Amino acid sequence: MTGKEKVLAVLNKEKIASIPWLPFAGVHSGRLKGYTAREVSTDAAKLIESLREVNKLYKPDGQPIMFDLQIEAEILGCELLWSEDAPPTVSTHPLSDTADIPEHIPAVNEGRIPLAIEAMKAMKGEIGDTTALYGLITGPFTLASHLRGTNIFMDMIMNPSYVTELLGYCTKVAKAVSTFYIEAGMDVIAVVDPLVSQISPDHFGEFMDKPFAEVFDLIRAAGAKSSFFVCGNASANIAPMCKTRPDSISVDENVNLATAKKITDEYNVVIGGNIPLTSVMLFGTQQDNMKNTVDLIDSVDNTDLLIIAPGCDMPYATPVENTIGVQQAVHQTEQIREMVKNYEGTEIEFEGELPDYNNLEKPFIEVFTLDSITCAACTYMKASAVDIKEHFGDKIDMIEYKYTDPQNIARCKVMEVKQLPSIYINGELKYSSIIPNRSEFIAVVEKCL
Amino acid sequence: MADFEKISELMQKGKADEVKQLCAEALEEGVAPKDVLDMALLAAMNIVGVKFKNNEVFVPEVLIAARAMNFGLEILKPAMVDDDIEEIGKVVIGTVKGDLHDIGKNLVKIMFEGKGLTVIDLGADVSAEKYVEAASNENANVIACSALLTTTMTQMEAIVKAAEDAGIRDKVTIMVGGAPVTQKFCDSIGADIYAADAATASEKALEVCTK
Ligand code: B12
Repeated sequence: MTGKEKVLAVLNKEKIASIPWLPFAGVHSGRLKGYTAREVSTDAAKLIESLREVNKLYKPDGQPIMFDLQIEAEILGCELLWSEDAPPTVSTHPLSDTADIPEHIPAVNEGRIPLAIEAMKAMKGEIGDTTALYGLITGPFTLASHLRGTNIFMDMIMNPSYVTELLGYCTKVAKAVSTFYIEAGMDVIAVVDPLVSQISPDHFGEFMDKPFAEVFDLIRAAGAKSSFFVCGNASANIAPMCKTRPDSISVDENVNLATAKKITDEYNVVIGGNIPLTSVMLFGTQQDNMKNTVDLIDSVDNTDLLIIAPGCDMPYATPVENTIGVQQAVHQTEQIREMVKNYEGTEIEFEGELPDYNNLEKPFIEVFTLDSITCAACTYMKASAVDIKEHFGDKIDMIEYKYTDPQNIARCKVMEVKQLPSIYINGELKYSSIIPNRSEFIAVVEKCL
Repeated sequence: MADFEKISELMQKGKADEVKQLCAEALEEGVAPKDVLDMALLAAMNIVGVKFKNNEVFVPEVLIAARAMNFGLEILKPAMVDDDIEEIGKVVIGTVKGDLHDIGKNLVKIMFEGKGLTVIDLGADVSAEKYVEAASNENANVIACSALLTTTMTQMEAIVKAAEDAGIRDKVTIMVGGAPVTQKFCDSIGADIYAADAATASEKALEVCTK
């Protein structure tokens, strides 16, 4: 099964043997290619190049094109504050002092929609056969708050009819943008609405039922799949969200996945989530990420109707090896479970002997991988070392250590190898996670000759 | 006799006009304004804070209760004698530079006010210099900073540093909070107090100001 087939099968509520993996690499994609968040948010060529790298390194079954909740708001008159290491942010709210309801619906050629569409079409052509592509739109409530500011919360109580009307307008915008993205080839439209976590189930019923149901109906009628993304503690709103009939919902670490899954299972809705973004993905080690993912998978009653994903948009600076660790843990759960166990078990002593790195006869390249067969990034890392070995022939030595062998785990501990895949030359870390460029790699080895 | 319980209940429901009216009636009956404030309004805000913490009420309910509290305060304030309005303490609050998440900050502000503290709200996207300038000008007891992004929480260290540079560090307590902030982080940047939620934050701030 391709990744795309897996995602679509699960969204069609079929039972399959594996769990799809959906890395939310928004602006983080740029980091893989050395581009800033601003660059991948404004330059189609750089975005496409970065998305290609995400596909290559993270082996996603499904992949978002842009994770940017400001695209619609920008067109509708909100000013943005730009950042180099985060998506832009809305800084002004055009409706803060007026009760007017706008009429303008974004057109396909407005603002950054053409950028998104160009990237969607390019990715559809390159990876669309094997990877399910996600187009993300701003949900009606979050868009309304961009336009109105946080006064919207008070309006819900003091001026409910205004809120209903404003949400009606935002629903039209959401439907228009969903249509553009479906026409650009997106398999799944994700309606992203973090603000939904901040209201009561009663308010959800009063205001959100109809707008969200309408958007999901439109997506269904257009033949695409849908997802309802929320960030924050949305525990109280899981059932109300299911009632708007999305194919799936996605939650962050503030929600207990196992508890929420009991609810989504009742509604026959797929649930996605929720590797902690900050404590684990950004600040944890690769080991933490593998362990966390295995534990998460073990925490749910059953793995049907389940997608594993980060809690929300991944921080720009998320270490690449952490995402690779999660990917491996989703795709090779049993193997990684064993590795984590072996790593945690203190009883394994390293039985071999480390080379005398200061007195080597020739340069020695050591490749540490999770498993160069199943882990894409490891495959590339290993291939680049094999290529270099071929280039230099007998002048250098090269070896791969796979983490699948407990002795290799012990070796990693002794050598203090923290990230996989990585390449060491003469006992020193040279490359980790990001595949070295050939000419640069050759130059580095030449220096050691 | 004024029914504090009733005022509290109405305030929790955000019934601003009713709260205002009952406060006025209480004053007419000769109840001390400070008693109405403490036993009805601030007590109600306390309950709202705890319910919010326990996920029983959500952001709109807190904001609307705060509005009702302010309606009541409008009546009580002018009636308070000088003794009553002795200032408990002053807090300068804001969301740090580069960060525009202000819902949490606003709730913390409300809870601070609910403890009777004077709050100067600098808004969102506030630079370290601005916090420190406001704290010195206002002679504040506390600087409270909120950050929701891992990329902006590092700003808090700059605020500690700016307070040192301005020579006010020993006079001002620096409180930090927001979803990604932890006690460990607070300690590591040399800030003074961390709290995970608005209700606890206000208790800790009150403690600082009444010490
Ligand atoms: C609502 C929300 C938004 C709204 C903000 C609206 C507004 N005016 O504030 C919108 C949609 C605009 C938004 C935008 C973005 N957001 Co946002 N957002 C959230 C969300 C869902 C809830 C935050 C919130 O308001 N919670 C409710 C309040 C009451 O809680 P709180 O802020 O934590 O405050 C409580 C305590 O922390 C404490 N407290 C708060 N401040 C202080 C201060 C002191 C001194 C003390 C003692 C205590 C204290 O008391 C409060 C009450 O109990 C969170 C999810 C989450 N897990 O928190 C994401 C989240 C914070 N956002 C996130 C991101 C990435 C973004 C964007 C970059 C999104 C994007 N991809 O485009 C932008 C960037 C905005 C910017 N530069 O500021 C990430 C941050 C990841 C990270 N750790 O870096 C989060 C965690 C979501 C996620 N899981 O990915 N967001």
